[in-house]
Amino acid sequence: MNGNERQPGGWIDRLTRIDRRIIFLGVAIAVATPVLVPMGLPVKPTRESIDFFNAIDTLQAGDVIVFSFDYGADVRAELDPMSVAIWQHCFEKDLRIVALTLYPDGVGIAEQVMGPIAEQFGKEYGVDYVFLGYNADWSGTMLRMGESFRKTYPVDQYGRSTAEIPLLDHADRFADTPLLISLASSAYAEWWVTYVGGKFGQKIVTGNTAIQAVLIYPFYQSGQVLGFLGGLKGASEYEALTGRPGAATRGMDSQSTGHVLMVLFILLGNLAYFAPRRRRGSSGTGRTA
Amino acid sequence: MDTISTWIAALLTLAIFSFLYRENPIYRFAEHLLVGVSAGYYLVQYFYSAVYKKLWVPVFQEGQWALLPGGILGLLLLLRLHRRTAWLSRYAIAFYVAAWSGYLIPSILQAQVLTQMRGTVVGPYEGTGMWDYLSSWMLLAGVVSILVYFYFSQEHKGVIRGVSKIGITFLMIGFGASFGYTIMGRITLLVGRFQFLFYDWLHLGTR
Repeated sequence: MNGNERQPGGWIDRLTRIDRRIIFLGVAIAVATPVLVPMGLPVKPTRESIDFFNAIDTLQAGDVIVFSFDYGADVRAELDPMSVAIWQHCFEKDLRIVALTLYPDGVGIAEQVMGPIAEQFGKEYGVDYVFLGYNADWSGTMLRMGESFRKTYPVDQYGRSTAEIPLLDHADRFADTPLLISLASSAYAEWWVTYVGGKFGQKIVTGNTAIQAVLIYPFYQSGQVLGFLGGLKGASEYEALTGRPGAATRGMDSQSTGHVLMVLFILLGNLAYFAPRRRRGSSGTGRTA
Repeated sequence: MDTISTWIAALLTLAIFSFLYRENPIYRFAEHLLVGVSAGYYLVQYFYSAVYKKLWVPVFQEGQWALLPGGILGLLLLLRLHRRTAWLSRYAIAFYVAAWSGYLIPSILQAQVLTQMRGTVVGPYEGTGMWDYLSSWMLLAGVVSILVYFYFSQEHKGVIRGVSKIGITFLMIGFGASFGYTIMGRITLLVGRFQFLFYDWLHLGTR
């Protein structure tokens, strides 16, 4: 930067030299305050979330669905609220669930989500839900489950033979399950669509981290995904649809204040960048070619 | 036990946050701990799930000897570690690439190319309202103009230049939306940490 380009000591100059830690502090205050003092901002469900909700809500009591915990500990803040809201909705409708994970650290996450909700709704393991656990080789797992869940997982997460699990008498392949739900933080949602949706005609809905959500829109537009939830916003919309506001709804207050601050920073940054150029242009002291 | 684990998680969270002020030994300790624990956890999970459950138990305890060649191919991959035996690993890689391609190419072509093309072309004639039609036509215009932008076999001037400029506008809008989602994702992670610190650790509220 040329020292002649800006008036030393001007407020715009000070803006360009602001300590990054002040910005961090601003973000921390903007995000933390609504966590302590909720504002209760309204949540309006989008079409994608409503379609996701309807895909589950229109199923019949007793139907068996597949639920894949395709995420790790790093994105629990985004996807755990979705998992909780969906499992509550499914058990409320008396759906039965075959759960699995494609992430090694998804095992602990799944158990922490499933256990308390099953207890809350009085559901029995092996009859109302089962956890097949983690299986290395995600592509082989997806393809083989189209032939047989039991052959893909000879034992469940706890070493119990899947041949002895009553729930799998009713559903042993994708043809027996009217819906598959994948909550994914990576490309696994796309692979479920590519392998299982394309090959076996399985109906699929997905919940994704905000970053991944952008990549799901094309599949939703083409009808390969019936509906999807994008990030914490999607989770809060689902909570609104089920009538059970939870962690996602509370988190959206912080999202809103954080986003307002980000927009403010972007505007100030652009002002600090363009104002000196404009001043140079009007005074004729700027660089010339 | 829960109290102890909550305290450990809270202190490690603060240790990671300390990097925002400046690089320091406490942050580095927490970072190295995370990497070490993650590597150990993943190694054990992969070994148990892949080697023990899928190879050792079926082959040596249940007598499914047909699975043994797969195990041998896996072992061949490890021979890459020695210069004189590295060539043997190519057989395993060749088998892996061939099998993977066989699985992947038809599935991707069907789900990510043909169905997507159909969704783009048929879309403009489907819909229930004015916004649906407008949205579908915008999609078609965006796809076509972006494809023109990436068409490099002819100099971009005249009509091609005009259409490609529309294409780059669509691309910029797409990048902007993607950036917006990224900010939302990052703020969510911060919200999650604050909820943990305030609710679970300090008990200043409930989830």
